[in-house]
Amino acid sequence: MNEEPTDAERYPTLTEAGRAMLKHMSEHPSAPLFRNRSGNRLLSEEVEALRAYESDIATAPFTWSANHPPAWLEAFTAQLYAQVPFYREQESPASFRAISTVHRGDLAADIARFVPDSVPVERMINFRTTGTTGHPLVLPSHPVVAGRYLAYHKRALRRFGIEPGHGCGQMGVMLIGMQRKCFTYVSVTPTMDESGLAKINLHPDDWRNPADRARYIDAMQPEVIAGDPISFAALLELSLRHRPRALLSVSMALSPGLKAALLDRFGCPVLDVYSMNEAGPLGVYDPGLGGHLLLQPGMYVEILDAEGRELPKGQIGEITLTGGFNFCLPLLRYRTGDHGAIDNSDAGPIILELQGRRPVRFRTHRGGWINNIDLTHALAPLPLSRYSVHQSMNGEVTLRLASTEMGYAADAVARLSTALLGGSVSIAALDTEDKMLQYTTDLPGGLGT
Amino acid sequence: MSTGPSLERLLRRLVETPPDFLDPPRHGGAGQLRVAAVVNDVLIGYGHPASEALLATLSGDLVGVTTNQLTLSAIMAWLLTDDAWRACHFPVSKLGTLFVEAAPALAAEADAKRYVFEPERREELARTTIARLDLLPHGETANQAADRLASVSGVERRRLLEASRAAEARARAIREALARKAAEESADKWTRE
Repeated sequence: MNEEPTDAERYPTLTEAGRAMLKHMSEHPSAPLFRNRSGNRLLSEEVEALRAYESDIATAPFTWSANHPPAWLEAFTAQLYAQVPFYREQESPASFRAISTVHRGDLAADIARFVPDSVPVERMINFRTTGTTGHPLVLPSHPVVAGRYLAYHKRALRRFGIEPGHGCGQMGVMLIGMQRKCFTYVSVTPTMDESGLAKINLHPDDWRNPADRARYIDAMQPEVIAGDPISFAALLELSLRHRPRALLSVSMALSPGLKAALLDRFGCPVLDVYSMNEAGPLGVYDPGLGGHLLLQPGMYVEILDAEGRELPKGQIGEITLTGGFNFCLPLLRYRTGDHGAIDNSDAGPIILELQGRRPVRFRTHRGGWINNIDLTHALAPLPLSRYSVHQSMNGEVTLRLASTEMGYAADAVARLSTALLGGSVSIAALDTEDKMLQYTTDLPGGLGT
Repeated sequence: MSTGPSLERLLRRLVETPPDFLDPPRHGGAGQLRVAAVVNDVLIGYGHPASEALLATLSGDLVGVTTNQLTLSAIMAWLLTDDAWRACHFPVSKLGTLFVEAAPALAAEADAKRYVFEPERREELARTTIARLDLLPHGETANQAADRLASVSGVERRRLLEASRAAEARARAIREALARKAAEESADKWTRE
């Protein structure tokens, strides 16, 4: 029953050229140890459909704006109430705004109840997410859904003047991680003429020789490199000659300092993509707009307060999603746990002041309160891949930095101390590789916003 | 779900079922009431003529379709000619399903005439018809309507039990599909969150 998939299942449309590309990526003398297997799993008719999908998404306009829902919302909601067990068990709502919101914990409790009846299970795949809120999730997906990510990445890249062009015999994208344990493999992208895809781990344990990391990237010459701030910070340490056409940063907030360092080093656009497993790529930070320009016209975004009331544009609240391109998990008023404000722009709706997870207030040395966003701003100029700030019951503040970035400790402490209007800030090492809650507090008033 | 006719009105309609509708239906050469024609006339009135398959089912020529099912279909057709339905918004495609699914299930449960002459069976037929057209009895909430239908209808209770079993089987199939090695390997995305 639980059989090992075959290569024919992993790459149903693989040609000789694609096979040669797989060999080139996996058997290069500087290649890392690829620890896993995976593939695009796309059937030929699905590849054609994805090309059409990419073309549609490239120019699809937003038919909704902040606080003005799209016309498709009513039919979408009715469909979910008819086809999704979780909703079918409930009374139909009097209006869209009367629909109870769901959050990660609801999905974690029994994800099967959120899958529409019409979705066949035979080719279902999953994406696992550990998260930071204590609700690990296994999310249902499908090879076509995974393939659709590229349509939104291209939409984001086009905003920065980049049109990916690598095809047969070239590497389209290299996904880089920096973890002790990382899922690594090679594949090809059928909609890009079987350009190569390699997911690698920059952790030295995955390489015969740590110097091979730079050699391999230089040899593969990926057109795009995708990663998170931690892996990009590691990339900066390598002596690469290769210059990709773009960097895609996902998973965590990319600090302006790190972004500037990447820009300076690689001389290409560095895209800060707001993306999550539950919804795919949602937005890309656009400096000209001062916020994350939304990418999915088929995903309606509301900003809600703690009681679930919709907030007017410009006010910060919880980012809540309806719609999406994952037909295995259509979202209906899904509270993401992330916060920000919504506004309109000529290019489409934007999210302003995007902050992961629940806002936390910190007590200043003089007894007042400041929001964690002020601490974000204070540390923004430093090229930190990640950090966490915690305030104890006695008001003491601890800043945790990656051990490789302790060189910025004195500067970071001084900046935090200024933001907190004085007082001491202690420093500690951040040793987790997983996503973590960036701002935490023991003070009862700290979660009061 | 939108509001349908009042239950009282439909119960009255059933009490007033003309004796002709209870005449033996044409079946295997005997009987006189042509149920297929009666039902088709009603469905045409809704702009949704009966399918060939439904006409064959109600023709009286199929051994597997009992006279009791045919009589119950005729009673249902009578119920659907009440003007109260005209003001309701429901998917007319459900009308065919009513005769294909609900009628045989109810006919298997009791003599068709009991759905006219016995108060509780009348309520079962009226409520079943309203529910299968995705409507609510006037003045009732979805929960009230579901509870009352389940309390008067053995057919509905079995249907709910089967639906619950089917839902659990589907959920189990999804959980198993997500746990397969192939699912764990996932598929290519250009970024991994």
